[in-house]
Amino acid sequence: MNKELEHSFVELLEKHQNIVHKVCRLYTNNQDAHNDLFQEITIQLWKAYPKFRGDAKFSTWMYRVGLNTAITLYRKSKRSIKTQEFESVSFKIKAEAYDDTEEQQLKLLYKAVHQLNDIEKALVFLYLEDKNYNEISETLGISEVNARVKMNRVKKKLKTILNP
Amino acid sequence: MDELELLKKDWQSDRSKNEPALSSEEIYPMMHKKSSSIVKTLFYISIAELIFWVIINSIPYFSSEEYRADLAAMYGNSTILLAITLFGYAVILAFVYLLYKSYKSISVTDNAKRLLKNILNTRKIIKYYVIYNLVVAFLSMAFGLYYMVYVNPEVSQQFAEFSDKQMFIATTLMILFTLGFLLIFWLFYRIIYGILLRRLNKNYKELKKLEV
Repeated sequence: MNKELEHSFVELLEKHQNIVHKVCRLYTNNQDAHNDLFQEITIQLWKAYPKFRGDAKFSTWMYRVGLNTAITLYRKSKRSIKTQEFESVSFKIKAEAYDDTEEQQLKLLYKAVHQLNDIEKALVFLYLEDKNYNEISETLGISEVNARVKMNRVKKKLKTILNP
Repeated sequence: MDELELLKKDWQSDRSKNEPALSSEEIYPMMHKKSSSIVKTLFYISIAELIFWVIINSIPYFSSEEYRADLAAMYGNSTILLAITLFGYAVILAFVYLLYKSYKSISVTDNAKRLLKNILNTRKIIKYYVIYNLVVAFLSMAFGLYYMVYVNPEVSQQFAEFSDKQMFIATTLMILFTLGFLLIFWLFYRIIYGILLRRLNKNYKELKKLEV
């Protein structure tokens, strides 16, 4: 029974791991910290998995546990203090058909997002993942109106960071 | 184009999936590693806290006949002492129950605000437990000193011979000693919980702020 549970969990996590990686990218600055957070989210997901009922989508459920771990449960380990610029690790941008200015702008954008506080990052993350305000409000525990208001403020804040 | 829209386009594109994907063989060992979450740390601290105060309160009581006799003499009769001791344990049990309930209510699948609130509530219970113990420690110290100075025949004899100035110095020293003891504890807790929960408090405030 337990083995079955483990197996189904690992299969689901393997399939949806990109969600966890994305949370880690937003909340950490280097590969060590990224791995640490990934590890902790995996533990929390597994611990909560027996309570997971198929009525929620596994991915939706992962957003909540992943963000909760990043915002509340995760304690930055000493290893994460090592200075390694996030640009060089997390946002390796492959040379594709993106033109230079857009590329440059994206780099700045990612950098700006990293300067936001934990809650603002959560909002941006859910927004980037195309979640609607209802889902955002339920994940964070704030009202939908307040989620919208806050999102607008975050957009403004990003603008100010980008064009000081 | 809106900055965030540009970011979204990139975020959702395939090229943002450039993390080295983990295989199931790599995920298996990860699930069974020990969590280093803040709740776990808080849990260990609260257990240590409970045990520490139980020991502090019990060791002298159980270790020496003389001390027990002294205490009984201090309280007039042993029934009151027994009642106070039982009350002390009842309070500890009540705190254990409250802590247990509080830990049970922490669920990683709640929304972020409720999760933060439940963790901070747990911390509050530990805080009340500590305050309770500090108050008890303070009262017993004050009571003990009072007993020593005014009731204990040997010591009170000595004090009776003190001049006003000596009495003043002795009293001041005792008050300073008691305050110093409390201050050290208070600072100790401020530092431990301050560091541990700084981020949590900050995030909770940020979410609360949105409601105003």
